[in-house]
Amino acid sequence: MSVQLNEFSDNSASQAAYVDRRGDHMTKKIVIAHLYPSEMNIYGDMGNVITLVKRLEWRGIGAEVRNVEVGQPFNFDECDLIFGGGGQDSGQQLVAADLLRRGNTIRQLAHDTMPMLLICGLYQLFGHGFTLSDGQELQGIEVFAANTVGGSVRMIGNITVDSPFGRLVGFENHSGQTILDRSQEAIGKVIKGFGNNPTSHVEGAITFNAIGTYMHGPVLPKNPAMADHLLLAALTRKYGDSKLSTIDDGLARSAASVANARPQ
Amino acid sequence: MKTTAILLSTKMAARLSRLFGRGGGQALPGLIAEKLDPHLAGTLARGLKHGVILVTGTNGKTTTTKLIAAMLTANGEHVLTNQTGSNLKRGITSSLITGTSVTGKLPYTVGLFEVDEASLRRVAPDLMPKQIVVLNLFRDQLDRYGELDTTAALIGEGIASTDAELYLNADDPLVANLAKYASDPTRVNFFGIEGLPVSGAHGHTTVADSDRCPNCKSKLTFDRVFYGHIGHYRCPNGDFARPRPIVAITNVAKADIHGSHFTVAISGKRSDMVFPLPGTYNLYNALATLSLAHGLGIATPLSATTLAHTEAAFGRVEKVNIWGREIYLLLIKNPAGFSQVIETFLAQGANKHILMAINDLAADGRDVSWLWDVKIETLTSTKPVIVTTGTRGLDMSLRLHYAGIEAENRSDLSVALETFINSIPSGATAYVLPTYTALIQIRKLMSKLTHMNKI
Repeated sequence: MSVQLNEFSDNSASQAAYVDRRGDHMTKKIVIAHLYPSEMNIYGDMGNVITLVKRLEWRGIGAEVRNVEVGQPFNFDECDLIFGGGGQDSGQQLVAADLLRRGNTIRQLAHDTMPMLLICGLYQLFGHGFTLSDGQELQGIEVFAANTVGGSVRMIGNITVDSPFGRLVGFENHSGQTILDRSQEAIGKVIKGFGNNPTSHVEGAITFNAIGTYMHGPVLPKNPAMADHLLLAALTRKYGDSKLSTIDDGLARSAASVANARPQ
Repeated sequence: MKTTAILLSTKMAARLSRLFGRGGGQALPGLIAEKLDPHLAGTLARGLKHGVILVTGTNGKTTTTKLIAAMLTANGEHVLTNQTGSNLKRGITSSLITGTSVTGKLPYTVGLFEVDEASLRRVAPDLMPKQIVVLNLFRDQLDRYGELDTTAALIGEGIASTDAELYLNADDPLVANLAKYASDPTRVNFFGIEGLPVSGAHGHTTVADSDRCPNCKSKLTFDRVFYGHIGHYRCPNGDFARPRPIVAITNVAKADIHGSHFTVAISGKRSDMVFPLPGTYNLYNALATLSLAHGLGIATPLSATTLAHTEAAFGRVEKVNIWGREIYLLLIKNPAGFSQVIETFLAQGANKHILMAINDLAADGRDVSWLWDVKIETLTSTKPVIVTTGTRGLDMSLRLHYAGIEAENRSDLSVALETFINSIPSGATAYVLPTYTALIQIRKLMSKLTHMNKI
């Protein structure tokens, strides 16, 4: 009973422009794989998908979202971008084993520069693994060299991070503490908030174009540079594009600046 | 310290607090009492002849408490209830202190309190309620509670500490599952809706908050969805299904923004009801009330009269008239509630004037991510005229922008309200959708322009 993305899309621009792969005026199209929307979809995660789709449509590029469901076959090779959100603990336990079966495929695609965005619960499962506070261990798929351990402190509040995409704003809400291996690059330095854990003062992880983060908000609408980084990576990988047409992001910048000024 | 001494000192504190203008002094006595005697509420509540009734759940607590209070009053009870928003332990303790005279007399027959979901387990063991009503469980201010499963477990803990008669929403799987915490299976009473007119039955306006079998975690099959995850469900493995309600709405003859005409079956006996609060969500508040009334042995005609004369609770479908414009005040606090407001008031018609006031203070929920879990796109084709405001008004504007709606933003709430009222054509109807603290601010501003009922 998850919301179907086509309900969010007016489709007028994209579908009219997208005729056919073999057609004369072939228009570009990006296929987004949405991991486990039934289980992992919380705190406005759908907003990230809406943002990716609309920013493609506004540029006259087609967008399609395909849902990855537990136990259902899925061909990641037909996709250009992977997104996965957070969820309740129960949801995370439901998807962990299924994700593990798809782990090799996804890890290879990450190394092949496919852009990915993983929020909170799926960020944790894209690392080495997650040891829950009750001792249970969920094995991860090793896209990120990071370990997560369940903690008793809930890290809640507004968060701002300095990153290659500029100053990022979001809202974090997690008790899992993620510790990056020495070799693993973070998204950036925490200016306000907790980030990966209470002591390291860094947030998230980046491997090639795969980004893992604790930032809800949702993260993409108020941080359009991050959204466009993912989209350009997808278009470069598929079509060899080197730049994106610009979008007026004045409203997003104003909203981000307000969020930046809110207390933790 | 003796109870009388504590009573005196806490009452004095409340008076001083009011005298020096530090708020209404509503929660202060409770706060002090908690330090002096954490069980004071329980001690005082034992003076209530017919005991204590508690109402909890994410949406509808205030409205349902108001409905039940009216019904009990009509039945001859003297009802002690808590003030809007004071639904934590200290607020309830305060109500009991304020209601008790210095000589220790409590001139009420029954205590009826709405309780915050996470506070039930702190309140219930002391008050030993005779009845507990649970309405629904949606994602709400999760930054405070953690997760929905956790919230359900907290309520369960509260229930398990009592031997109360339970009144549970059969159509919400998480609430129905709370029956397992009952002290005795015969103490569980379910209420639910059997069917709605087609117009109200396509409730897929939000992401479902809870669509898993509580036993085997399989995805529940829904034969009917009324809104969110509220409907007729069953586990495909057969180990969990919607229980059969004893009090059920069997038919809704009419439903618009002025309310509903519906038929309710109470233990199989049908009665027609007129209920002036609109929306499917309010039908459940009426059902909870009827279900409790049935349990208490209150005659159905009396409950029917009470429902027919209902007025909305503070900010829940409150209607005000300012300069010849009719303005609805509709509190929004989570995706399920926001979606219901859209479906009930805004999805039909065109060019509606709407003010959306989004604050991110503690009482609103500090995380505004939830705005993206509402299918705002339902409004796009109606071309609404929207002003946004509040500490996170721009987050609302951005959400609307991604739904193809360009709103006007005014960061100052009083400026926004003025801009908004001026933009409404004379004689037209308009809608104000505030989060909790924005509602308080807006009512205050409006009370300078028109008469507002006391909260």
